[in-house]
Amino acid sequence: MIGKEKLLKKLESVLAHSTADQTEIVYVGDEFGLTRFANSFIHQNVYENNCRILFRTVLGKRVGVASTNSLVDADLKQTLDNSIEIARSRAENPKFPGLPKAGKYKQLATFDKATARCTPMLRAKTVQKVIAEATKQGFTMAGAYSTSSGEIAIVSSRGVRAYQPVTAASINMVTMSDTSSGYASAVSRRTSDIDFKALAKTAVDKCKLSQNPQALEPGEYEVILEPAAVAEVVEWLNYTGFGSKSFQQGTSFLASRIGRKITSEKITIYDNALDPKAIAFPFDFEGVPKKKVMLIDKGVAKGVVYDSMAAIKGKTKSTGHALPATEAAEGALGLNIVVAPGKTPRAKMISGVKRGILVTRFHYINGLIDTRNSVLTGMTRDGTFLIENGELKYGIKNLRFTDSMMRAFKSTVAISKESQLIAAWWSSVGCVSVPTIHLGSFKFSGKTEF
Amino acid sequence: MKDKLKECIEWLRGKGVTYADCRYIRKENEAIRVSDSVVDSLSRNIDVGVGMRVLANGCWGFAATAILTPAELMKTANQALQVAKASAVTKHDPVVLAEQEPFVDFYQSPCVRDPFAVSTDEKIGLLVKVTDVLKKAKKIKSAEAAMNFFKTSKLFLSSEGADIEQEIVESGAGYHAVAFDGKEAQTRSYPNSQGGDFATRGWEFVEEMQLLNHAERVREEAVALLQAAPCPDEVTTIIICGPQMALQVHESCGHPIELDRVLGTEISLAGGSFLSLDKLGKLKYGSDIVNINADATIPGGLGSFGYDDEGVKAQRTPIVERGLFVGYLTGRDTAPVIKQRSNGAMRADGWNRIPIIRMTNINLEPGEWTLANLIADTERGIFLDFNKSWSIDDKRLNFQFGVECAWEIKNGKLGQMYKNAVYTGITPEFWNSCDAICNRDHWQIWGVANCGKGEPMQSMHVAHGTAPARFRNVKVGVSK
Repeated sequence: MIGKEKLLKKLESVLAHSTADQTEIVYVGDEFGLTRFANSFIHQNVYENNCRILFRTVLGKRVGVASTNSLVDADLKQTLDNSIEIARSRAENPKFPGLPKAGKYKQLATFDKATARCTPMLRAKTVQKVIAEATKQGFTMAGAYSTSSGEIAIVSSRGVRAYQPVTAASINMVTMSDTSSGYASAVSRRTSDIDFKALAKTAVDKCKLSQNPQALEPGEYEVILEPAAVAEVVEWLNYTGFGSKSFQQGTSFLASRIGRKITSEKITIYDNALDPKAIAFPFDFEGVPKKKVMLIDKGVAKGVVYDSMAAIKGKTKSTGHALPATEAAEGALGLNIVVAPGKTPRAKMISGVKRGILVTRFHYINGLIDTRNSVLTGMTRDGTFLIENGELKYGIKNLRFTDSMMRAFKSTVAISKESQLIAAWWSSVGCVSVPTIHLGSFKFSGKTEF
Repeated sequence: MKDKLKECIEWLRGKGVTYADCRYIRKENEAIRVSDSVVDSLSRNIDVGVGMRVLANGCWGFAATAILTPAELMKTANQALQVAKASAVTKHDPVVLAEQEPFVDFYQSPCVRDPFAVSTDEKIGLLVKVTDVLKKAKKIKSAEAAMNFFKTSKLFLSSEGADIEQEIVESGAGYHAVAFDGKEAQTRSYPNSQGGDFATRGWEFVEEMQLLNHAERVREEAVALLQAAPCPDEVTTIIICGPQMALQVHESCGHPIELDRVLGTEISLAGGSFLSLDKLGKLKYGSDIVNINADATIPGGLGSFGYDDEGVKAQRTPIVERGLFVGYLTGRDTAPVIKQRSNGAMRADGWNRIPIIRMTNINLEPGEWTLANLIADTERGIFLDFNKSWSIDDKRLNFQFGVECAWEIKNGKLGQMYKNAVYTGITPEFWNSCDAICNRDHWQIWGVANCGKGEPMQSMHVAHGTAPARFRNVKVGVSK
């Protein structure tokens, strides 16, 4: 950790050297440790101290981007010069709106000292306890436990001066028996928020309950999708449908459907980076304050997220969802997608199912088959169960689903009042917050051998 | 840098470690993307750092830093040692490394014209011309063309005396057009979907793609797909184009032959493998005409290199011979499990990641058919072109792949175009249904620049040499 004043001072000293019309410098740095385990021992254990400094410079309406991971003054100045040279070498982009102005950011507590101080030994001892829960039952445990601390800072010639320190802790675990597996996961800004023993018990119980799974024929079933499964579905819908780029290209399932009812009124999905109970973060990678954006409100398509470039094309304002300049061509992306909770206690979700399937988690979902109709395919894994007359009967062999999520969400029966945070690859600045969902109809198109 | 890293290794040796290695990597990248004839992204990025791997108390530890001062490097060496000691908290059999000659060598990938020396104007000019052509139809909603170049300098030093330097240049390009009629959207790409094609070659690779020559056809096919009939659901014969065969090899052969997956050490993320140890040398993976190898020595292949990130020399390994499964991809700490030496598949996605088993160039060897004769020999079926979606279970058995575009095959000729085609199967059943593979004239090595694996995630550059191939009794569509 460099610290707010020292880091901003360093970036501003480089900014002062810029000869461009406008200049933006984004710093993303962290110390990251990850302890990975499988077959009930630690087999990979890593530590990394790294950063990235991105320069975006503007000459008229020409924009150049360059980055380095060196904080050495000479390298920073060289990278600044490189970005100016790139801007000079390209044609004007008449649609470029200029760099965003300074904004006001919500004060958010995103840093936890104890998490920042978590050592490899502390992680290893936690993992040891997690493994012990599986060993007691004669199972093995696999997974990964990571902790990180970092800083994100942005300065620009337009007056942006943003800084946020962050920590994150994330664990996933898979308990393995000869014939089954069970999964659990958690993510938080604070290691102290995570109940490792309870998570391990969940994974072990699922593994135990799904031993000797029976085959079930594919077809249309009622399903209970647990939070990890919902999160994977929502991440794909986010990627293919909730960003401005797919919306403006027409490939999003929301394109040309704004204002129309596309799912059950029980479904509300939004992006909200400002909820302190989640992995909150106050600004995007252009320094624009994050706004809560309604995507689907009580089943009605409402909108998508924007960065400043896409906002011009969409004749609207940035919602604070820009990615780093090196990834800007991907368009804006929601990093804090929330599926609004319902009213049903999670414990009562299963009791409402006459004959259906409980899905703990999906594997390898792909949502590019037919993005206009939000068609996804993927496999179940790590705890798939048959439900009969409101009770879990036994584990079943994994199934492939292929379905339009707009169609499936129209059949929503109930949504749990409890939600869970699920880690995503961008977990230092966001995550997915999702409940358990009961769908009346979900199409399984294939099966596998385990 | 070399001297500083040697000091770190000596210090670690003095601490009694079993083994240590250091990798210094400097990677330069240039990325250009043109959307609808306007440059919307042009960036140059430099990434430099050192990763140190230590084997102590029978366990691995790894630490990496971007700060390259002597003090920080020594601190990182100590951090790697402390991480290894922490790993030993969970008891298990000590890591055993396969024997390995410590090479002292220099390797350079083939490169006729340095892509970083080609003017930005020339690159942008070509991409703008491509999107100009793609946009010449009202229904083309967006057209994107992109290029990516990488120049990587690597230094590998080990406590066993290895001292290897490598210079690798990679080039890639591709484009796609999205057609939209207000109701549905369809995409068509060139020279492949998912970003195009990549190789460990220079600018000449991009020139050979003849990007501009295909843009008109791509545009017209994207528009035509809007009116095309949905691909019918049936069990039928399929002929798969070369680039989609590359994806098929990648997902249903490349990943399940990774020995770390087989041994369960990737289970929590990527999953395991149906190719368990008892199947080696016994499983009939495919039909008699199916021969697959892993070959990191092919000049220009995106999965080619001089040495892997453990200092093991690039090599060619048989994987499937006349349909029989005969080999895994291995590293030094997994090969001893099957009483072998490493076949050089350990690679890291940079200085800040540990080497794990990755595909190199995994190739389906060519057969004897011309594509024209193969289609003429097929009474009824479907021709499948370019990947659109991909999904496979966590043991790599049940797969489902979608393609951008398909054509009916009727009485030995290509017929009407189909959209939204999907095919599905179980890996060994599928490969055993392969009854024809096109010949070397149709064989091409396809670069895949985004193969994900590991925690933290590592994105690897790999490749697959393939030719179009025919499979019988395959389920197309998902409703029957």
